[in-house]
Amino acid sequence: MLLPLLSAATLLLTPSLAVFQDEAFHIDYHFALLGAPKESTTFFHQPNPASKASLIYTLSEEGALGAVNPRDGSLVWRQLLQGQHQSNASFLRAGEGQDLVVSGSLNQVAAWSAEDGRLAWRTATDGVLRDVEILELSDGKEMVGAKDAVALSGSHGAQSSVVRLDGATGAVKWTYEFDGSDEAYQVSASSTHIYAILLHKTLLGYLRIRVVSLDPVTGKKIDEYMLSSENELATADTIVSVGANSASPIIAWTDAAHSTLKVNVVGSKAISSFTIDQHAGETVARVQVHAPYHINSLSHFLVHYETATSHWADVFHVDVNNGKVTKAYSLPKLAGKGAFSTSTSDANVYFTRITRDELSTVSSASHGILGRWPVTSFGVVSGIGEVIEPVHAVSEVSVKGDAVSAIRTVVLLSTGDWILLRGGTATWNRPEILASTVAATFAMPAEVEAFAERLQAEASSNPVSAYVQRLTRHIAELKDLPALLVSFPQRVVNGFLGTSEDDLASDNFGFHQIITCATRNGRMLALDAGNPNRILWNRQVADLKKEQAWNPRLASSKGGEVTINSQAGTGFRYNISNGEQLVSILPVDVEGDAKAAREVRFTMTDSALDATVDSKPAWHFSPASGQTIHSLVPRPVNDPVASIGKVLGDRRVLYKYLDPNLALLVTKSSLTLGPSNTATFYVLNTVSGAILHASTHNDIDLTSPIATLISENWLAYSFTSAASATAPKGQQLVIGELFESLVPNDRGPLTGNQNYSSTISTPEPYTLTHTYQIPEAISKLAVTRTKQGITSRQLLALLPDSGAIVGIPYNALNPRRPVGRDATKDEQAEGLLRYNPVLEFDPKWLLSHQREVLGLEEVVTSPALIESTSLVFAWGLDVFGTKISPSFSFDILGRDFNKFQMLGTVAALGVLTFVVAPLVTRKQVDQRWKFL
Amino acid sequence: MPSISHWGLFLCASVASAARLTVSIPSTPPLLPNPGTLPLSTHAVLVGPPGVRYDVPIRRDSTFVFPDVADASYLLTLHSRDYFFPPLRVDVSKATDASQQQTIQAWQTFRGNEWDNKGPNYGSGKGELQLQLQPSGHKDFYQARGGFNIIGFVKSPMILMALVSAVMIFGMPYLMDNMDPETKAEFNEMQKSSPLTGSGGAADQLQNFDLAGWMAGKGTNSASGGGGSKKR
Repeated sequence: MLLPLLSAATLLLTPSLAVFQDEAFHIDYHFALLGAPKESTTFFHQPNPASKASLIYTLSEEGALGAVNPRDGSLVWRQLLQGQHQSNASFLRAGEGQDLVVSGSLNQVAAWSAEDGRLAWRTATDGVLRDVEILELSDGKEMVGAKDAVALSGSHGAQSSVVRLDGATGAVKWTYEFDGSDEAYQVSASSTHIYAILLHKTLLGYLRIRVVSLDPVTGKKIDEYMLSSENELATADTIVSVGANSASPIIAWTDAAHSTLKVNVVGSKAISSFTIDQHAGETVARVQVHAPYHINSLSHFLVHYETATSHWADVFHVDVNNGKVTKAYSLPKLAGKGAFSTSTSDANVYFTRITRDELSTVSSASHGILGRWPVTSFGVVSGIGEVIEPVHAVSEVSVKGDAVSAIRTVVLLSTGDWILLRGGTATWNRPEILASTVAATFAMPAEVEAFAERLQAEASSNPVSAYVQRLTRHIAELKDLPALLVSFPQRVVNGFLGTSEDDLASDNFGFHQIITCATRNGRMLALDAGNPNRILWNRQVADLKKEQAWNPRLASSKGGEVTINSQAGTGFRYNISNGEQLVSILPVDVEGDAKAAREVRFTMTDSALDATVDSKPAWHFSPASGQTIHSLVPRPVNDPVASIGKVLGDRRVLYKYLDPNLALLVTKSSLTLGPSNTATFYVLNTVSGAILHASTHNDIDLTSPIATLISENWLAYSFTSAASATAPKGQQLVIGELFESLVPNDRGPLTGNQNYSSTISTPEPYTLTHTYQIPEAISKLAVTRTKQGITSRQLLALLPDSGAIVGIPYNALNPRRPVGRDATKDEQAEGLLRYNPVLEFDPKWLLSHQREVLGLEEVVTSPALIESTSLVFAWGLDVFGTKISPSFSFDILGRDFNKFQMLGTVAALGVLTFVVAPLVTRKQVDQRWKFL
Repeated sequence: MPSISHWGLFLCASVASAARLTVSIPSTPPLLPNPGTLPLSTHAVLVGPPGVRYDVPIRRDSTFVFPDVADASYLLTLHSRDYFFPPLRVDVSKATDASQQQTIQAWQTFRGNEWDNKGPNYGSGKGELQLQLQPSGHKDFYQARGGFNIIGFVKSPMILMALVSAVMIFGMPYLMDNMDPETKAEFNEMQKSSPLTGSGGAADQLQNFDLAGWMAGKGTNSASGGGGSKKR
C-alpha cells in the first residue's frame, strides 16, 4: 500500500526536464509574425536577379523586416529593427535587379541580403532618418555592383542633411548639409538630380515646400526654390505624396478640407490644380496617390479618394517634356472601402483595384479593364455582421497581350489579416494582427466548465448520491450514443494515428481552452489553445483613434465568457465561442455576503503606495529617499497550494509561510537623482502593510529589465548587475522562499493556532534565498499553474536575446540547495543538489526548443482540467503557446504510450495462450497417468 | 525597454573616433564546419555600464561588427540558437593623448566569477580589434524517449534466463528422445551422482531434511553435505 504511494510521490518530485522529440512541434504552436505591413514598405522583389521567383518584402509597423514566400505565406527570413512600437517613420527600398534591400529606421540605414536576410552593412546618420532612397541611375561609371543609397536625416531644431552611401559597403560618399532649420521631409531621385524636399515654416505658421536639387555625383547644390503653396498647408499631414524614383517625381498636396488637389512635378515650378469632386455631399476623408516606382516606367499616377462610405479614383498623366499634368480618366465610384496597387511591367503601368467583392486591373494608359476577378471570400473570420474591407494592397501582374495572365495581390484587410489573392481566390492568410496583442487570457468554454463542475460535484458528495448522479448523467448521455457509434470507428483510427480530435465540447482534459487576445488597435480575437491554427472570431470592440491607447485588461470570471476592462469602459462581456457581446446587466450576487469581502484599494504612484480599507486609509508605503516604485506584483488570485509544508527527506516537515496577501514590490533609484543604481525588493503583506522581507542590490543596470514574480511561498526576481572588480558582471536570478520557521516540525509563533489575522499580528517569515548567475537577461517571469498545485512548479522566463522561453524546474533553483558541501542522503531524497552559483539554461529546458520566438513581452499560464498539465501562452511580436507537464504526464497517456506495441503484446499473449494450452493439457493428462 | 537600449546605442554612436570591434566565427570542422549555416537570429551583444548596450546582427561574412565602442568594460555575449559561445570581457580604454587611439582588449571571462578573474587573452589592438570566437558546444533541445528496443529487451538477463529455461523445458525431452540408449544410460548415471539432483545431492537432502534429527544434534553422514549442513 505504501509503496505505490511512495513511488507516486517520487514521481512528483522528479521534474520533467525536457521537451520530447516526438512532442515538439505537435503540442506547441508558434506564429512567426511581422506585424501589420505598411503600404509604403511592402513590395514584390526578386531576391536573386537571375531568377524569376520573387518574394514579398515588408517592413511592418512593429519594426520587423522580413521576406514572405508568396506561394504559401511562410516566412523566409526576418530581422527586428530597433524601435519596436515606435511611431517613427521607417523605410524599406530595393533597387531593381539588386540582391540587397535597404532599410532605414531611427538613425540606422542598413542593407540586408535579400535572399537570407543577413546584414550587409549598417551606417548610422547624425539625425533621425526622414527618408531613404536607392539611386537608380547614377553617374554611369559604377553601374555594376550595388546601387548607392541616399538618406535624408534631420532632427528637430538640428540641421538636416543628405548623405550618399556606397551600395556595397555603406561608406559615406558625400554629405550635404542644409542651411536653416527647415524640417526635412523627403528625398527623391530622378535620373539626373537628387531632390530634397523640406518644409519651411512661414511666420503665419503655414508650411511652404522647399525643393533643393543636388548633383548625385558631387553632392553639390544645383538649384533651390520654394513652391508657392500659399496658405493651404497647415500641417504636413495634407501632403499626399512625394513620388520618388520615377521619371518625373511629383509632389501632391491638398488643402485641409480636401477640396482641391495640387500637383507639382519636381524640378519645375508649375503647379497644376484640380478640383476634387464632392460626390453627393460626402466629404472626402482621405486622398492617396499611387505612382509607379520605377525610373523607366510611364509617368502616370492614380489618385485615390475615400469618403466614409465610398471611394473612387482618377488617373493622371504627366507630360515629361513640359511637366504638364493632365487627367486621363476616372475609375467609377463604388461603395465601401477599396485599395489600389500599382505594378509595372517594362514601361507599362497597371493599377489594380480591390474592393469588398472584386479585383480588377486597368492599364494606366486607358480605362479598359484588362482583367476582372470576383472575390467571394477573403478566407478570414470576422465579427458578426462585420464587412471585411481591404486596407492596402500590393500586386504583381504579368500581362500577355491585352489581358492579364496572372495576378498575385497581397492585401491587408481591416481584420488585420494579411492575405494573398491569386486571381480572385485567397490562397493564404497571415494573422498579423496577433503581433499587436496587448492583453490575453485563457477562458474555459462553458460546456467544458459545466462538465468539470459536474465531475467535481460527484467527487465531493457522498457515494450513494454520487452514484445516483453519475447514473442519471450517463442516462442523459445515452441520447448521444447513436452519434458516438457512428463516429466511433473514425475516433479509433484517429486515436491510433495520433491525429487529435478538434471537438471543442468533448474536451475532457481542458486542453481546448480559448485564448482571447486584445490588440492595440481595439480588436479582440479568439484562438483555441488545442487547435491554434484557426482563429475562432475576430471583432472590433473599441473604436480608437490613431495612436490612441486603450490599455485593455482581460479576465474570465466564469466559463464561456470573457470580461474586458479598458479605458474605453469597464465590464464588457463577450461570449468566447462566437465573440457575441453579452448584454451587460450588472450581476447581483445574491449569496455573496457584502460584509465578508472587505475591499482593500491600492493607489500606486511613482513615489508612494497607499492602501485604504473601507475607504479609510490603512497604510502607506513610501520608498527610501531617492527611490521610486518600479513595479508591484501580487500573488496570483488563483494560486492553489497542495501542501502547507515541505516534506524533508527524513519525513519531517518545514512549514511554508502561506499568506494570500503577499506582494513583491520593487523600488529603484530614480534616474534623475544621479547614478546610485540600487534596487530594493520588498515582500509586503498587502492587508497589514507589513514588510516581511527586503533585500537591496547595488550596482544594478536599471535600464535593463527587472523581472519579478511571487507565488505560493516563494519569490523570484532577475536583474543585470554592472561590473565591479570584485563582483561578477551579468544577469542574476534570485529566488527566495518564506518559511514559518526553519526548524522542522515547528510552526514558530503560530504553533497551535488554528487561525490568525494578519491585521492583528504578523508573524515574520524566515526567508532563504539563493542567487544564480544566468547567461542572459530575463524580461518576464511566470510560473506554471495546475489545478490543485500538486505538480511541481516550473519557473517560466522569457529570454529576449535568444528569442526563447525557458521553463526552469523549481528544484534547480531551490533556495535550500546546500552551500559549500554535498547534499546529505536526506537532501538527496528530496532532490536537492549542491548549490552552484552559475545556472546555465539547459537547451532541453527551452519550451520553444528550435523555434525562434521573437519579441515576446508577456506570458500567461492556465491550469488544464487534469492535474499534470499547465497551458502556456506568450505574446509580443510573435505568439507562442504550448502545454507542459512539469512532473511528466502522470495522469494521461502521452505520445510515448505506444498503442501498437500494447496491441502487439496482447496479441502475442493471445497466441502464446493458444500454443501453450495443448501442452499444458498434455502435461496434466500425463501427470494423472503417472500418479494413478 | 527596447527604446532604452536603443537610446544607449544612439548616444554612443555619436561619440567620435571610437573603437571598432570585429568578431568573426571561424570554421571549426567537427562542430561548425560552415559558419554560414548559423541561423539569421544569431547576434552579439556588448553590455557595458548601465544604459550602454550594443546589439549587432550577424553579417553576410559571419562576422559581427561593432563600429563605435565607447570607453568602458564590456561583457560580450554571442546568442545563437544552435551553439554555445563562451562569454568574453572586452575593455576599451581611453587614449593617453588625443593623437593616439583607444586600446581595446579581450579576454575570456567566466560566469559567476569576479570580473577581474580573466581567462586567456583573445587579442588586443589600437583603435581596432579583430578576434575569432569558436563555438564551445552544440545545443541539443530534445530529450530522447526511453523507447522500446527489441535487442535491448532480449539482452536483459531476466529475459535471457527465461529463454534458457524455455529451451530446457521444450528442448530436453526431444534431446532425451533422440539420444542413443548408451548415452542415455550414461546421462542417467551422471544425474544420479550429481551433487544437486542425484541421491544424496543437495536437492535430495533438502527435500528429505530431518529437522528433528538435526535439532537433536545428529550429525550429517555425508561429508560433502550442502544445504543446511554444518560442521562442528
